[in-house]
Amino acid sequence: MSHSAPPATRDGRTDPARILPLFRRALLDHWRSTLAWAVGLAAAILVYLPLFPSLGNSDEMQDMINALPPEMTRALNYDQIASGPGYTQATIFGLIGFLLLTIASVSWGASAVAGDEESGQLELTLAHAVTRPQVVLERTLAIAVRTVALAAVVFILVLLLNEPAELGIQTQDLFGATVLFGGLALLSGMAALFVGAVSGRRLYGLAAGAGVAVLSYVSNAVGRQSPDLQWLLNLSPYHWAYGNSPVANGADWGAAAWLWGISAALAGLSAVALQRRDVGI
Amino acid sequence: MGQVIEVKGLRKSFGRRDVLHGIDFGVERGEVFGVIGPNGAGKTTTMRCLLDIIRPSAGSIRILGENPGAAGPKLRRKIGYLPGELFLEQRITGRRLLAHYAAISGAVRPGRADELAERFNLDLDRHTRKLSKGNKQKLGLVQAFMHDPEVLILDEPTSGLDPLMQQEFRALLREAQQRGQTIFLSSHVLSEVQQAADRVAILRDGDIVQVSSVSALREGAHRQIRIAVTGVPGPELELLLRDVPGLHTIEVQTAGELTEISATHEGAIRPLIRALAPLQLADLVIEEPDLEESVLTLYGNGGNDGTGGTGAASAAGASGRRGDVAGPRGFSERSRS
Repeated sequence: MSHSAPPATRDGRTDPARILPLFRRALLDHWRSTLAWAVGLAAAILVYLPLFPSLGNSDEMQDMINALPPEMTRALNYDQIASGPGYTQATIFGLIGFLLLTIASVSWGASAVAGDEESGQLELTLAHAVTRPQVVLERTLAIAVRTVALAAVVFILVLLLNEPAELGIQTQDLFGATVLFGGLALLSGMAALFVGAVSGRRLYGLAAGAGVAVLSYVSNAVGRQSPDLQWLLNLSPYHWAYGNSPVANGADWGAAAWLWGISAALAGLSAVALQRRDVGI
Repeated sequence: MGQVIEVKGLRKSFGRRDVLHGIDFGVERGEVFGVIGPNGAGKTTTMRCLLDIIRPSAGSIRILGENPGAAGPKLRRKIGYLPGELFLEQRITGRRLLAHYAAISGAVRPGRADELAERFNLDLDRHTRKLSKGNKQKLGLVQAFMHDPEVLILDEPTSGLDPLMQQEFRALLREAQQRGQTIFLSSHVLSEVQQAADRVAILRDGDIVQVSSVSALREGAHRQIRIAVTGVPGPELELLLRDVPGLHTIEVQTAGELTEISATHEGAIRPLIRALAPLQLADLVIEEPDLEESVLTLYGNGGNDGTGGTGAASAAGASGRRGDVAGPRGFSERSRS
């Protein structure tokens, strides 16, 4: 044969650029958006937490909370807002941080397969020497790494503000809460990835991811209203993660395992789903 | 010589829409094989099946003796692919994008990407999404060629390229061919395929209408001819040329001394020249055989009824694909005497 095939010694293992190439590309493609989300999370933390000594840690605050309808307090998880850990749990982990990290994760999940496919770029990637599960799993790994990085930003900033803002949070409790926080956001992101991988439509992925997050939040808020509705809590990943206020009381590691485990399972199912269908039609 | 690409009874339907109705073709090693047809004929679908981007509904595909669906990355490493619609919207430079594609394809000889980019006059340090359509296309071509794959599958490779770059592309094709690389390309512009390919498959509505060599296609094609003669009246000239095989007179005009005949001609050229030699020629125009016209005949709507260009135009107009076939015709060789 006159054509020279690539020498066998130059494949795979020897060249460092060939180790997880899609993972590297995904990280590089998204570093700007990751940075932007980190800035957003940092801004939220820097706005909320320094307010605690003057706001949460006072009798007036407790009186105000007591004056609110108890349903509302329960829905917003403001029951323990007068304590430093309770305040951090309710404002950062339970609300604004949850919102931001979930949106980030869902948008990444929906774009990893379906968004790339809709923009026409997935076709060219798949025409190269990669397998579809490899594409899905390397990109999932990149989403997980970015999510962990953002959760780490939250962990570090809260830790830094712990003393000055008189929060009184135990480091190991903060760590546990951060693991749950990351897993909870990743779960919605993986739902977005999965539906995107099945349907090839980014919008469906976004809807699924947002749906999981919203239903999870709402069923927690409603389930806390009365003992008759408590069964709703079992359906709420939000409640699995935050039911026992982990910033104050430490993580429920079983719940953490569920959140991360279901996320991993959804990633695996996404790989199978993409493997089984036509791309880019 | 084994066939590098072997397609048998390939069918593909999306839901209830049948796109390919069981097509068969084979591409020999070192061959440039073109598939032409209007948009929607199934060219892109065929190529996507070859790369396992979509899966056939029925039939078999062998590339280098392997089934793309089962062989996976090992096989695709030996294929270079240019998609028909290229989307490069990342915020990275061409160089980094190529490095990424190099990392997920066959080994790229150092400096090869730069060499190709230079040939195409492409700046690799610009962000890909800021590139013009033509420059994106060049980047796509570099990406397909850079690992010197055994098989090249190119969907509308010259779309967006200016004539100079199209020429460079054809030079690249010939080099690849000489190196024993096999090329499967598509186009809806016949002139593109006729200049680049050895054989052509004509695809229409999911069926291969005909596979033929470009030279065979050319033989069956009609040349447009215009002959202007002084000193011979129209009817006499017609009589003189009546027995030239393959010549069909369309129109005779007389203006004073000058008689002008428009005609079409197919087959051997020598009898025509011999018949014209004794005449007082004022002008002679023989256009390159119009393959588009003969292909249009194969597309179905008549067209070669001796009326030449008008027939082709009406055929194209009637089927609504005028824009598809009436692309740039490259250089139209005219011989004037």
